[in-house]
Amino acid sequence: MFEPQIMCFLCKWCTYAGADLAGTSRMKYDPSGINLRVMCSSRIDLQHILYAFRQGADGVFIGGCHPGDCHYVEGNYKTLRRSILFAKMLEDLGISRKRFRLEWISAAEGRKFVQAMNDFTAQIAELGPLNLDKMTLNNQKDFSHE
Amino acid sequence: MNGNGKKKRIGVFVCHCGVNIAGVVDVERVAKALEGYSGVSFSTHYIYMCSEPGQNMILETIREEKLDSIIVAACSPTLHEKTFQSVIELAGLNPYQVEIANIREQDSWVHSDKEKATLKAIKIVKSMVEKVLQNESLEPIRVGVTRRALVIGAGISGIQSALDIADHGYEVLLVEKNPSIGGHMIQLSETFPTLDCSQCIMTPKMVEASRHPNIRILTYHEVESISGYVGNFKVKIRKKPRFVDPDKCTMCADCEDVCPQIVSDEFNMGLSFRKAIYLPFPQAVPGTYTLDIENCLGLLPIRCGKCKEVCEPDAINYDDQETVFEEEVGAVVVSTGYDLYDLNHLGEFGGEKYEDVINGLEFERILSASGPTGGEVRRPSDGKVPKNVVFIQCCGSRDPENHNPYCSKICCMYTSKHAMLYKHHVPDGNATVFYIDVRTGGKNFEEFYQRTIDEDQVLYVRGKVSKVYKEGDKIIVWGVDTLTGRKIEMEADLVVLAMSMVQTDGVNELLKKLRISSDANGWLSEAHPKLRPVESLNAGFYLAGCAHGPKDIPETVSQASAAVAKVGDLFAQEQLLHEPTVVPVDEDLCSGCGICVTICPYSARELDKEKGVVKVNEVLCEGCGACAAACPSGAAQQRNQTDDQIFSMVRAILRG
Amino acid sequence: MKLHYYPGCTLKEKTTNLDESTYAAMKMLGYELVEPENWTCCGAEFPLNEEKIVGLAAPARILRQVEMEGGDKVVTACAFCFNVLKQTHIALLNDPLKQKRINAYLKDDIRIDPVTKERTTDFPEYRGDVQVLHLLEFIQKEIGYEKVRSLIRRDLGNLRAAPYYGCRLLRPKGETGIDEPDDPSIFEEFLESIGIGVVDFPFKQECCGSYLSVSLPDAASEVSYRILRSAKLNGADMVVLSCPLCYYNLDRRQDRIREKFLEFTGMPVLFFTQILAWALGVEAEILGLDQHFFDPRPVLGITDKAEVAS
Repeated sequence: MFEPQIMCFLCKWCTYAGADLAGTSRMKYDPSGINLRVMCSSRIDLQHILYAFRQGADGVFIGGCHPGDCHYVEGNYKTLRRSILFAKMLEDLGISRKRFRLEWISAAEGRKFVQAMNDFTAQIAELGPLNLDKMTLNNQKDFSHE
Repeated sequence: MNGNGKKKRIGVFVCHCGVNIAGVVDVERVAKALEGYSGVSFSTHYIYMCSEPGQNMILETIREEKLDSIIVAACSPTLHEKTFQSVIELAGLNPYQVEIANIREQDSWVHSDKEKATLKAIKIVKSMVEKVLQNESLEPIRVGVTRRALVIGAGISGIQSALDIADHGYEVLLVEKNPSIGGHMIQLSETFPTLDCSQCIMTPKMVEASRHPNIRILTYHEVESISGYVGNFKVKIRKKPRFVDPDKCTMCADCEDVCPQIVSDEFNMGLSFRKAIYLPFPQAVPGTYTLDIENCLGLLPIRCGKCKEVCEPDAINYDDQETVFEEEVGAVVVSTGYDLYDLNHLGEFGGEKYEDVINGLEFERILSASGPTGGEVRRPSDGKVPKNVVFIQCCGSRDPENHNPYCSKICCMYTSKHAMLYKHHVPDGNATVFYIDVRTGGKNFEEFYQRTIDEDQVLYVRGKVSKVYKEGDKIIVWGVDTLTGRKIEMEADLVVLAMSMVQTDGVNELLKKLRISSDANGWLSEAHPKLRPVESLNAGFYLAGCAHGPKDIPETVSQASAAVAKVGDLFAQEQLLHEPTVVPVDEDLCSGCGICVTICPYSARELDKEKGVVKVNEVLCEGCGACAAACPSGAAQQRNQTDDQIFSMVRAILRG
Repeated sequence: MKLHYYPGCTLKEKTTNLDESTYAAMKMLGYELVEPENWTCCGAEFPLNEEKIVGLAAPARILRQVEMEGGDKVVTACAFCFNVLKQTHIALLNDPLKQKRINAYLKDDIRIDPVTKERTTDFPEYRGDVQVLHLLEFIQKEIGYEKVRSLIRRDLGNLRAAPYYGCRLLRPKGETGIDEPDDPSIFEEFLESIGIGVVDFPFKQECCGSYLSVSLPDAASEVSYRILRSAKLNGADMVVLSCPLCYYNLDRRQDRIREKFLEFTGMPVLFFTQILAWALGVEAEILGLDQHFFDPRPVLGITDKAEVAS
């Protein structure tokens, strides 16, 4: 069975703390995602996302604070604006925008983090492997727009 | 490799956390998998890493194995990152050489498949190894502190702030643009919900401020600009010429008696007159006359010069000049207060056409014992005692379509107070209040409002007023009672409008200069709406009073004292320590595009036009990394979270 | 100078005095008014139903005609027509989809010449470039009060006029209105420029009763009365307005008002173009002053007894 690899970039103040809360609450979720802690979701650049896909990620997830709650005032708005661009560029590169997800998850939303992980993993599982690391772009199944 | 090109010696310590980790993750296998991984020269596991034996084991291993950095694979870094940082500091290592791999909250506790959890743990630990491999040893950024504060605006919030800072033992500059301190509070008659006389409680504070050895009051002064950063600001202050020497002035009033120029009196909201040389009000601090140059006939003795002739102590100096001087301070409290929304915006109420349609502050002066009517309620047009007074709430507030969207917060209570005080002055008069909602959230507020209705028989009508106009001697008010659905048309002798509170004119320009942000309505923004309500986002700036949003006196005083507590936090430090994981600029790579300058919410970055590169004020940088993501050339790299580090970590996670 | 002018139906039927005085006044100001060929009713009410846009076809067709004739602006004297045309202009300007849908109607237009029976098809699309101006606005923005002042031939300095805006000139607030709905001044400025005394009165924007004069005539005459009474209380010799419906309610219905409010003695009500033309020196006969219920000629000092009705 296909087991997706998911790269998760989580902001330190909200989503990473939300993921910790899921742990202290002993909630269970799919282990396909592995987290990387950044100070703010706005630290993430398109090159990080593309690099993750190239290194074999089947999906990339960014978690940030809810609008208005950013520790750095407006970093999450910057992420939001960029992510619209990210999704478009991914499509242009032949990668389904469904392989990229941005969620606002607060430090109190352990359950939301669990749901997001399960839901996103299921979505990626349905899409199947991306295999960008193994294949050239020409024979990409994902290349066609949905 | 570390920064010096020397291969790192990394130690990996995998914690069992009893069975919390080891029950799901095969810790032995994790430790084994890391043996020989890039830079790892030692790897082990132990039942409780955070216990004293665990910590000692780490300490000893660092010494024996000559480690220069370590990974602790255990619980979330929020729990024990600090613990292990102190451990390696004991071993003589830099605290930035430890990284925590979170294999409990984000692995063993959330997964039950042992195989998958173990593989995930290995990847997590490897990613942290990749990070620590490239970690620099960092020292906190240290800056000195000037233990001296600037308070802008000397209303109740500014005075309270200044007194509290002064009582903490620090020097304060209290800058006020008007000739006297006191702000709006000294204009009020009585205050809700206790009906204390405002002047009775305000005057002692003003005197106390003027006598305090740590407070330097600068009235008739304005702040021009502020440069520098937290703990180290340089303030340019402009002194407006007063033409009267406060030290010599005895307040004898001889000058006022001879002055031929009569102008409207600001303190009494234009309801009375003053001379061009004047004392703003009897309790003014400093107690001195001021010559209002705008309205003076001219300083040439040949044109008038009457005041100078009669001034016995020779306090009047026509050669007084405007000067600008610089002061150094470490913290700034912004307490610039509020203005009332301009009545001209309300054309349906006649704008400023009708003398007997007034705002709340004008009514305060009419109610005040020291006011233009000597404490009797008389209307401005003809001095008659008004028998029917209509109060209209939310004038310009809560109306996003036409005016301000926000609630001005204090109007419900002061209107209730106005109606009550009116009834105390004119027991046979009728007071009617038009309201949208009555908001009485505050200690003893609801009881006060109920008293207005029950004991003082004020009529509350729920509905808005659509039109106020004059017919002959009478003012006609058109409104609606939304509880009965009836249109109301009533006569009034006086209409009092609870005008919306707005940001003081000109303050937003000052703030732009200070780089303090404000919200869509012009009110100053706090650093965090819940957890940092009295700090500005710009370190070293603190907010007090209505400049931050509408609030009543107790709330203003609390906020002022809270702001001062934060100033105290700042001044209590020997040196300011600042997290060094900031985003500097590699000048060789920087193209000077300035994108990062616009991205930075802290104004920490500035374009050096001469060199064509961006300069970073590391003290202001909070290390969010948004600029690093935006930098097109890779010149902006966050310390210990560089792009290379992120790439290596991603690779370890996906391929490790 | 030629200027596109849309009169609207009422001005050719019930209130020819407004139409004729507009022609006369504008001639004195140096403008030759040109009516767009084959103009139709503007629709009288701007359709508020967002989906059913067919109501926009008639006003859009008028604007398209102006465009076809090479005009870039059209002026109106009727406040109602102004309101419909201006709102249509804005609606199409702000919504390209709406403009596209309207053009789908307009391009299928067929015009049959009543005499030759010749059919015209293939009409162009409406591009949306026609500016709609009320004459008060046109005088303010394009002619200028200075110019008006310089052309005044009759001194009206001893008269006091109360400007009555009604609703259509000012609302909806924002792009449509020619001034601030709660505190307008354009009418006052206009009256000052023609040298007549101006009366400020609080009812200048209150509703005249509008179509209630059909369904609830008593209610309409009550609000009309309040407007006239307030103008009189504030010292006005006449009320000046721009809307045919307001004129109907405030002048023609003074018979009913008199029946209901015995103390009411009447008040002359004039169109702004009548007083403008009069000030500019136009002869009284052209201005249709005999059509008014309350004869305005005595107050203007026109004493030809033979002409004066009750």
